[in-house]
Amino acid sequence: MRFASDLWRILRNDKGALIGGIIVAIYCIVAIIGPWIVQVGNDQDPNNAYLPPSLTHPLGTDALGEGVLSQIIVGARPIMIVGVLAAAIQVAVGVIVGLVSGYVGGVVDGVIMRITDVFLTIPGLPLVIVIASVIHTSNPVVLALVLSITAWAGLARAIRSQALSLRSSDFVEAARLQGVPLRNMIGRQLLPNVGPYVAIHFLLGITGAIYAEVGLFLLGIAPISGTNWGIMINLAMSQGALYTTDSAFYLFSPMAAIVILQVAFVFFSRALDSVFNPRLRVQ
Amino acid sequence: MAVYIAKRLAMALVIVFIVVSLSFFMIRLMPGNPMSALQAQLQMQGGLTPEQIQQKINAIYGVTPTGPLWQQYLTYVGNAFQGDLGRPITNPGTTVVAVIAQALPWTILVVAVSLVISFLVGIAIGSSMAALQNSRFAKVMTFVVSLLSAIPNYLVAIVLLYLLANTWPIFPTGGAYSVDVTPGPNLPYVGSLLYHAILPTAAYVITSFGGWALGMKGSAVSVLGAEYVRAAESRGLSERRITRSYVGRNSMLPMITQLALSVGFMFGGSVFIETYFQYPGVGYYMIQSVNQRDYSLMMGCFLLITISVIVTNLLVDLLYPLVDPRIASPAARKRAADTPPSAAAAGDSGAVPVGGSMA
Repeated sequence: MRFASDLWRILRNDKGALIGGIIVAIYCIVAIIGPWIVQVGNDQDPNNAYLPPSLTHPLGTDALGEGVLSQIIVGARPIMIVGVLAAAIQVAVGVIVGLVSGYVGGVVDGVIMRITDVFLTIPGLPLVIVIASVIHTSNPVVLALVLSITAWAGLARAIRSQALSLRSSDFVEAARLQGVPLRNMIGRQLLPNVGPYVAIHFLLGITGAIYAEVGLFLLGIAPISGTNWGIMINLAMSQGALYTTDSAFYLFSPMAAIVILQVAFVFFSRALDSVFNPRLRVQ
Repeated sequence: MAVYIAKRLAMALVIVFIVVSLSFFMIRLMPGNPMSALQAQLQMQGGLTPEQIQQKINAIYGVTPTGPLWQQYLTYVGNAFQGDLGRPITNPGTTVVAVIAQALPWTILVVAVSLVISFLVGIAIGSSMAALQNSRFAKVMTFVVSLLSAIPNYLVAIVLLYLLANTWPIFPTGGAYSVDVTPGPNLPYVGSLLYHAILPTAAYVITSFGGWALGMKGSAVSVLGAEYVRAAESRGLSERRITRSYVGRNSMLPMITQLALSVGFMFGGSVFIETYFQYPGVGYYMIQSVNQRDYSLMMGCFLLITISVIVTNLLVDLLYPLVDPRIASPAARKRAADTPPSAAAAGDSGAVPVGGSMA
């Protein structure tokens, strides 16, 4: 409850963060209920291709005469699902690895950190492209796993250094003297204290995953089937949207959808940052 | 110092080894892997004896499909470390290494120039935001910079292409230089080369200088509040000396670390930017080879991008002791390791790589 009231107080004072939060909420609602309200694929009519915006098609139509807005609404769900799943996987792996490594220390810490270093060094996006091109799937869970393959490492490092400093604090000492088992120590004692890192990395993880996911569809590395924003841009580009003016809405609408969401996430995450960071929480 | 360098070099070699192994695994062991696919395809075509098929596969992937797995693995790794990565399927007349060697300078040119520009611009904006805290300039710039750093670079590339290459054809739509100049150290060639590099560089810089500015601002603000800065002020040191040696140098430290992290991100971004601008660098060839299912070239490009990132990281690591003398002195390093709490936490709070977590 304290968290909710803090968050609300910050949001009230930070207009950018408030707007960001509202936009993120709207996208989530659209992703959840959108596909039940809007359908894609039943009003194809080549006579309607590349229509300018109108009342029936507020963002115009694509090459097949389908409404661009309804495609954007339907395309929100696959993007958001993979983004949230990937961020959840990264956070889970990063937190567990970081806490265990930092708390247990010694040889375990050394080995885990060397492995983490490897994942930090290998460039993430090229590795994702390589794996995705061989696996070639649009299954959201598999895609999320592929997207998180290196992204957990940064969080694991940050959490580890937190765990290192928590290890010598009084409450951890007290818990250790009571003989609390490792699982309890990590889950009950350490985890609540790294909450800020987790929350912010979760939001930034979503933006990173969406960046890479849309990129995979843009380049045609993930299979082009169904509707999502990356596929829409990919199709618009391959139909020559760069060279004509009548498909501008078709090309730029999904791009705007992505940019608005990414920017909203970044501004919202700034509010979370100030909720958790008491030094920034002044007034 | 020698131990420090040796450790870094060993780590770099281990990573190269892991990536080579991964590429063997990808080519040879994945279900439906390209090697067995090629084998099946050659058998379907007929007219070839099993030995000829094996020779062909061997020529392309550098691996004989029959024979024990460990032997295939050793051959592959051995060849890779001698610089033999096989031949591209789509163009067996040349070697993967030759294709990549041609492409690498273009990628390095654009990535290095963009990195330097966005680093300098970002540091300048970030430090002035920290100096003029709570001013209108700082507020507006914080907004602009957060906005720009949240936009994916491929979308900026598309917008630049649409506006500046097609709607108003000011810049070329693609290529590294125009067809009517002869490559060599002559003025038209260099001019054309720079002209073609402007849009790709712009796409990088627009999306990445914001991350530097935000990072620099955060770092400088935390240094401004430090005790030693107040101590220096009370000692009556000149404004200039404090800014340079006390604030400037210390707030640059985390930025230099970020440099290593962001190089990987820049090379990753080359995949999009070079594809859209048809810029003949490593990222362009990587996507080409993915689309043509040319796995030996694809893994070659990946290996090369990884090696470039490792080499740059090594360079930054070697640069680091110059900026932070504590690294080079074992005693200071020991002291830093013994007192992890606040120092480590402060250093790592900026650990979110520039441009999001896909670094």
